Amino acid sequence: MKQSEFDVIVVGSGITGGWAAKEFCEKGFNTLVIERGRNVEHRGPEYTDMLAPWQIENRDLIPESFSEEGRYPHILGKGYLRNSTKQFFTDEKEHPISYPEDKPFMWVRGYQLGGRSLTWGRQVLRWSKKDFESNAKDGHGVPWPIGYDDLAPWYDYVESFIGVSANKDGLDAVPDGVFQKPWEMSAPEKHIASNLAKHYDDRRLIVGRAANLTEPTQEQLELGRGPCQARSYCKKGCSFGGYFSSLSATLPAAKRTGKLTLVTDSIVATVDYDEQSGKASGVTVIDAHTKEKRSYKARVVFLCASALGSIQILLNSKSKSFPNGIANSSGTVGRYIMDHYTGVIADGEVPGFEDKYNYGRRPIATYIPNYRHEQHPGTDFIRGYGYQATATQRKNTGTTAKRVGIGAEVKAQARQPAPWRFLALMYGEMLPYYDNVASLHPTKTDQWGIPLLHIDATIKENERKQIRQATKDIKEMLEIGGCTDINLRVVPETEHIKIGDRIHEMGGACMGDDPNTSVLNKWAQAHDVQNLFVTDGACMSSCATQNPSLTYMAITARSANYAAKLLESGEL
Amino acid sequence: MKDLKITRRVFLGGLGASAIVVTAPVLASVVNADTGIQQVTKAGQFFTANELTVLVDVAEIMIPRTDTPGATDVHVMPVLDAMMLTWAGDSTKSQFKALVQQIEQLAKNSFEQEYIQLDQASRNLLISELDKRAFANTKTDLSENYREFKELVFHIYYTSEEANPDYKVIPGGYRGDITKLELIEINKRGYL
Repeated sequence: MKQSEFDVIVVGSGITGGWAAKEFCEKGFNTLVIERGRNVEHRGPEYTDMLAPWQIENRDLIPESFSEEGRYPHILGKGYLRNSTKQFFTDEKEHPISYPEDKPFMWVRGYQLGGRSLTWGRQVLRWSKKDFESNAKDGHGVPWPIGYDDLAPWYDYVESFIGVSANKDGLDAVPDGVFQKPWEMSAPEKHIASNLAKHYDDRRLIVGRAANLTEPTQEQLELGRGPCQARSYCKKGCSFGGYFSSLSATLPAAKRTGKLTLVTDSIVATVDYDEQSGKASGVTVIDAHTKEKRSYKARVVFLCASALGSIQILLNSKSKSFPNGIANSSGTVGRYIMDHYTGVIADGEVPGFEDKYNYGRRPIATYIPNYRHEQHPGTDFIRGYGYQATATQRKNTGTTAKRVGIGAEVKAQARQPAPWRFLALMYGEMLPYYDNVASLHPTKTDQWGIPLLHIDATIKENERKQIRQATKDIKEMLEIGGCTDINLRVVPETEHIKIGDRIHEMGGACMGDDPNTSVLNKWAQAHDVQNLFVTDGACMSSCATQNPSLTYMAITARSANYAAKLLESGEL
Repeated sequence: MKDLKITRRVFLGGLGASAIVVTAPVLASVVNADTGIQQVTKAGQFFTANELTVLVDVAEIMIPRTDTPGATDVHVMPVLDAMMLTWAGDSTKSQFKALVQQIEQLAKNSFEQEYIQLDQASRNLLISELDKRAFANTKTDLSENYREFKELVFHIYYTSEEANPDYKVIPGGYRGDITKLELIEINKRGYL
């Protein structure tokens, strides 16, 4: 008979689910991880990273039938959706969401063991003191109940385990941590970085901080991980374990304790609530294939199903005490949906490096951290933005397939090295708006009978002002950096920016001190249900400008440590 | 009867280690000594032998053999033919079939001969002119069909092993500030 009672249930096996599993298993708790998607083996047949471009089916082009059949309606055409990576991205046609017609929303998902940890961007940046203080300072959203100092030791802890290749830059905006050898900047990147540093007191171009190993530790080696091979194949899976994922690191660490039970193809429909004890009793799942329901019980439930996934489960978990969803006495479950957004993309030629080349494919970009935590004279918006930027590789002039010309001459031309170009994408901080909300659709359900998530979210005037200033700023920075032939692609003022497009969706079950205005306390523990924790992106009270996964992981490890103490003391 | 020289040229595009890789069939062809055209003698997986004959030639005119391999050398058309079954949608399938007919018609209109009867210079001239017109007047069916075909030919060519002799599946590291000489040395030894 299969076991159905555990110490801890972890819902989701991605970035945070893997961490929760590892922490609880290593502390000796019988832990069940429930993944709604299929099983994926690390280094298994779904990894395509050992294929050369000419060995990939259809030369890595997505079959045209996908377009004809309306598959992947939001991400078809995105650079990351290739024939060699499509297995790790969820088809929105099969798993629809709902949104207002005039405000399309993107929810990029990866329904498989390991979730989006297989395809994430691996840029791991600490948040700063100011990022945790912003809500309290300007009155938007729910004030964070924790500060940087609460998380700092957990950042250390997480970075030590996952492996972060980065430079100690000494910047308050992105505090330094436990780093392995950084990746090298290209010659033009060094040039731009040097020019910016000479001109500005507050702006720096730094090499990205990558969850890719450059100097693996003994612990990482023992888990079967090795140094990154600079292939930039990360979204295909990595047979070397060069980048951090649940499959390469946290789940193997959990498994080796003998305390882990893993079930896949099981969709958590509800967190079950025991009216007598006032606690979550466990979860009810629906088998993805047979659609049969079954339940699991545990002393503690950790929701790590991604921000929107966890919100959907919370809202769908209705009971006598929580008619609007479990842990929702405040009525704020689903509110304050956020994402980063890109309002301007700039690129320019970097002359003077005709004799410089690169070898290999660096797996991380460069980065200009947020320099606008405070308002500057002449600006009338709050918070700020950073830029993900790169001049990693020098390309050839390329083919002329889209231009006139054939024959020997254009073929020869295609092999000529092109000038270096530098590309920068704005990553803006979206304010936590109460009316940016995810709710359950009143009538539409998915194929398992679970109400669809309806997401109504948009940027507002503060973000439009940020875009205007960010456009001026990046043009100036590229000029000062030494770029010429600068192109600016600015999102028009009236064009809706799809929230979710940056795949950093956050909020919906925000942390806060006040149970009347927030869902979770400083431990990411539900105010209403003490054995229920939500430690994925849903718990974030603001979104800052940095890639958030490192902070999710630190919060998860911290909360798991806290919950473990409560379990040991018998409080849970 | 023209003198046909059997070459048994073997097309092996896309063979690889994985079972999911598109495998192009072994095709036989003959070279017409007068026109230099490589006449495919057996149907492919999607195109007929006659269609393949025209398209192989067009692809080679687009990307000819020079000091580096040409489209035929890297088996562009066998790969493309196989991709008609695994990648192409209905519209593309129709477009490429139509393109062959349109090229045939162009040959007749311009030279009063079938395409495969034209000498190399005439075929080069015909396709070069078609290329110019396809980008000058983008709205016609012929222009659209041609541009779509050209794009796929170029994609297959530039993702081939032969067109990327220095490509490393496993570079082993990254250097971003090296001279051309250093790059050549690294590529020559195959590692950093």
